[in-house]
Amino acid sequence: MILNSNSITPIYMQIAEWLETEIINETITSDEKIYSQYQLAEMFNINPATAAKGINILADENVLYKKRGLGMFVATDAREIILKKRKSTKLHDMVHELVKEAIQLQVSKEELVNMIQQMHVKIKGEEQ
Amino acid sequence: MKVVECKDLTKVYGRSNALNNLSFSIEENKITGLIGRNGAGKTTLLKIMAGFLHHSSGEIKVFEETPFNNLKVSANSIFIDNEMSFPPALSLKELLITAGSFYPYWDQKLADRLFDYFSFNPNIRHGNLSKGMKSTFNMIVGLAARCPLTIFDEPTSGMDSGVRKDFYRAVLKDYLAHPRSIILSSHLVEEVEDLLEDILLIKEGEKCLHMPVEDLKEYAVGISGKTAIVDEVLSGKDIIFEQSIGTDSTYVVIKKDGSQKELEKAEESGLELTAVSIDNLCLYLTSKTTGGIDHVFS
Repeated sequence: MILNSNSITPIYMQIAEWLETEIINETITSDEKIYSQYQLAEMFNINPATAAKGINILADENVLYKKRGLGMFVATDAREIILKKRKSTKLHDMVHELVKEAIQLQVSKEELVNMIQQMHVKIKGEEQ
Repeated sequence: MKVVECKDLTKVYGRSNALNNLSFSIEENKITGLIGRNGAGKTTLLKIMAGFLHHSSGEIKVFEETPFNNLKVSANSIFIDNEMSFPPALSLKELLITAGSFYPYWDQKLADRLFDYFSFNPNIRHGNLSKGMKSTFNMIVGLAARCPLTIFDEPTSGMDSGVRKDFYRAVLKDYLAHPRSIILSSHLVEEVEDLLEDILLIKEGEKCLHMPVEDLKEYAVGISGKTAIVDEVLSGKDIIFEQSIGTDSTYVVIKKDGSQKELEKAEESGLELTAVSIDNLCLYLTSKTTGGIDHVFS
């Protein structure tokens, strides 16, 4: 992933989000050690303090836990926490935007639901 | 531990103050960006830190000692700019070997590898290098010296964009392997912001602000929309920048004061909120006159 430094989302949030995606995709699984701030700094070409801030967000949300002297590890229920959070924040915001746009374009509720269903079938079909 | 500590630091050139009551301190093992417009006093400040210049009044401590004529500071710091002079009798390769004898933490292997990577001719003299090549060579000396306080004054001037990227990456990699205090002056904020931990912004010899880069990103917010609605939101706010677009629209940058609710309300009333890049924010904060260049032509 390449970080987007022009984005409104601060770099440390982008780091936190990237780590979350790694956990959702099970690239890093429960009780596995996560990248250190120095590894992240090297990977993304950023200051290690910025990387640490990204890690700390996840630690505050109990997605990661600290083993003294060993580093940060993925919590057992990390995936559930992230899924729940993303649903109530990111997905919620996207739906908000979607509905707002639909109203502006005078698309009826039924038409919108229909569009979502069709898109759902299409993407699911492509995955299989 | 604090590496640099200044209190009411002032430097007078003739009758004008290059630095004016500057107070700040820099913690150990951070990469700090010194940002400011031309003539803001960046180079003067860095040269005083390195012990090249006397200050006029106030106090400055580097490694807890006054830097001017100080052996401890000289041995533990290096100042890199594009006006460094090297003995004209030595070739580039000889310079690299000789430089090593002055610095206790010098890494000859790193110096040689960088020297080869940037394909320098070992037999050429420093005076015959192009501007960009000079900057690149000086950068190699600065990195290989591994000084606990490494100061780069406009290190990338003259470098092409490929070398610039390599330089920033080299600084980061060597910093990760060997943490030390690095101060980097630049007016190209955009290029360095990801590398920095803190930013020290100075304006006309005075401190404008000193804070972590990530905090600075959330320091201000841009608002644009119809002038009448914008003006309503603005009452009692700290306006950093203002520009009118067309006949009835305005773009303003204000300092965020934590009232997230008000901003959400502004968004609902049809105003557009945008993030302000650090680059632009630094420009707005340090501009000398209101109205900008357009004002000259009106």
